[in-house]
Amino acid sequence: MIYLDNAATTKPDEECLKRAEKYLYSAYYNPSALYAEGYNVKLALREAKKNILSTVADDINFDLVFTSCGTEADNQAIFCGGKRGNAVTTQGEHSAVFNAAMELKQRGMDVRFAALNGDGSVNIDSLLSLVDDKTSLVSVIHVNNETGAVNDITAIAAKVKEKNPHALFHSDGVQAYGKIPFRLTKNIDLYSVSAHKIGGIKGVGALFKRKNLVIKPYIYGGGQESGLRSGTENVFGIKDFEFAATEKYAELSKNYQTARELNDLLWQKLDKSLFVRISPTNNSPYILTVGVDGLRGETILHEANDNGLIIGSGSACSSNEKKRYSRVILACGIGENIADGVLRLSLSLCNTREEVQTAAQILNKIVKNRKEIMS
Amino acid sequence: MEKVILIRYSEIHLKGKNRGYFERVFGINLEKSLKGIKHEIRRRSGRYLVECFDEDQTDTILQKLNKVFGIHSMSVALKVATDLDEIFAAAKEVCSQGGSFKVETHRADKTFKLNSMEISAEIGGRLLQWNSKLKVDVHAPQFVIGIDVREDGTTLVFNEFFKGAGGMPVGTAGKGLLLISGGIDSPVAGHMIAKRGMNIECLHFHSYPYTNLQARDKVIELAKVLSQYSCGTKLHIISATHIQEEIHKKCNGDYMVTLLRRFMMRIAERLALNVGAQCIITGESLGQVASQTIEGITSSNSVIKSLPVLRPLCGFDKDEIIERSRAMGAFEISILPYEDCCTVFLPKHPVIKPTLEEVQKEEEKLDIEALISEALKSRETLTL
Repeated sequence: MIYLDNAATTKPDEECLKRAEKYLYSAYYNPSALYAEGYNVKLALREAKKNILSTVADDINFDLVFTSCGTEADNQAIFCGGKRGNAVTTQGEHSAVFNAAMELKQRGMDVRFAALNGDGSVNIDSLLSLVDDKTSLVSVIHVNNETGAVNDITAIAAKVKEKNPHALFHSDGVQAYGKIPFRLTKNIDLYSVSAHKIGGIKGVGALFKRKNLVIKPYIYGGGQESGLRSGTENVFGIKDFEFAATEKYAELSKNYQTARELNDLLWQKLDKSLFVRISPTNNSPYILTVGVDGLRGETILHEANDNGLIIGSGSACSSNEKKRYSRVILACGIGENIADGVLRLSLSLCNTREEVQTAAQILNKIVKNRKEIMS
Repeated sequence: MEKVILIRYSEIHLKGKNRGYFERVFGINLEKSLKGIKHEIRRRSGRYLVECFDEDQTDTILQKLNKVFGIHSMSVALKVATDLDEIFAAAKEVCSQGGSFKVETHRADKTFKLNSMEISAEIGGRLLQWNSKLKVDVHAPQFVIGIDVREDGTTLVFNEFFKGAGGMPVGTAGKGLLLISGGIDSPVAGHMIAKRGMNIECLHFHSYPYTNLQARDKVIELAKVLSQYSCGTKLHIISATHIQEEIHKKCNGDYMVTLLRRFMMRIAERLALNVGAQCIITGESLGQVASQTIEGITSSNSVIKSLPVLRPLCGFDKDEIIERSRAMGAFEISILPYEDCCTVFLPKHPVIKPTLEEVQKEEEKLDIEALISEALKSRETLTL
């Protein structure tokens, strides 16, 4: 089976699992415990925090809070940051941010959504026009999870702070972390990441936080994670995340180049008379999103599955239009005919050139055949 | 003093020489419904008793019995020896703290020294002496204490009646094949026919890869809900994909639903005859959608050669169907957003009043026999 849905989740790295295994079987103690065994686990957590932090930030200006997933990190940022005045985000956010922002709106806050460009990146003029002196939070996704468009959040954050230095700037970095060369700058206050998108296991995420930024906890309890995220830490998952992240960042540029070559090859091999490119050319090399005119993405997904290829789709098999089309794809200005047939092909370094070529062949064949039937 | 559940059956008492058969099937269904729960069921002159169960399982047993067709009503009763002091002790147990009441006695044991009226008077009198907050009202009492003097030297005392599912025991009225989609109507249609005692098998058409595995799961879940009432069921799943593709390719698209319905009915009849079903059941409601106009129903009905088609929802409004769907516990599953096969190739302007001539003309473009055989070969059967 060829797996091209790595933006949904990646295969856990076996080496990292083996290295982290001792935190399941022998060093299983509660890191908050006072005895030496517990303390040693706490030290291991500290080491994990330091190593993960160092991948994209320095530990003088930044800290991080471990969470149970990227969604939790996003929710913590949105609910702890969006406190007064208005909040500004984009129409291209993952549901973890979008629905949290909608909840803020439901609670009476003025929430504003910036328009997108055709490739899924945020329209910066639209975003800046929504920011004013009453804005308390701005959240912009780093890599659009549906199209692979990369937002230059360093530049965007600087422009936002120019307009309102007091607004918190958050970015959902789930599809960027461990994949795109990038460092956190002083204008970025909060940054969410997830372990299972880069070879870690599900159930672990983190929220990078500017060090002197004071935010309230999202989950209350025993005071773990400096009181910002109570609950006994998932030590095994966090150590596994540390090892996966360290491994990814050791060869980030090389990996980026490999993924770029795979992505280019995949697009090259797809029949241009059948597929429309939705991803921009300067997309994240880990995501290639294409559309098929007049066919449903889900139909192709099932048939690909039967032919040994796993991919993602941007539409659901529902007659309910609200559920049928992706709101992000529609916000890109893409018509319903293509929006119905969106396919997201997402790569990891486990994929080979041969796999990518075979995947393109399978998709070309399926779509050609299905178009003939449906014509 | 033992807690028991007293079951009274519905129409079975109207049966003459066949009564024994109906009672046997009813008993088997009761046993099936309580499978896995410790209990014993005894039949006593027209009533059934569930005994020897753990008291903390009482609510679970009542819930399960509530889905057995043929039950008129149930009571949780205390079983005591037929002795006035013991009966009075049990009456005190089931008696509310205050209010108006009456005592109703049924005496199967004619050898007991008091007759029904005398027992009611005796126990009622003792209760009035025991609790001054009680008063007798034989016309409009707040609660009724029932006393059932059995022939085996025991008496049942109770004060609550739970309404049963009614109907006839499933298995006493043959077998039908229900066309089940993922919608609201068809499970309700199956429920109504099962209520009249019919065994139900289900037939579902899917359109994979145009529909997904979640849509299939949804239908399985709906069939499972139905199976709780029908003492189990079989779900046959058949692919309609190629039929829809062929209609799409070769026929006027506006006839898609009409033509597809005719295929479904033909396949249903062949399958029904194959599995020993004596009728086809559908969830059609007159005028609800384009294919359910009288012309649409005439068109789909005309391909059926030998079996009756039961359409129990024909005269129901949608909100009446929804009410029944909620009551049987299917509604929340039915409204999950996954498509069934009918909507995949849905034309923008479906034919509302097809004539048989027009439909037959469109069908001439298709190899009907080949498509039916191919579909039947795709059959998968799940026992639920």
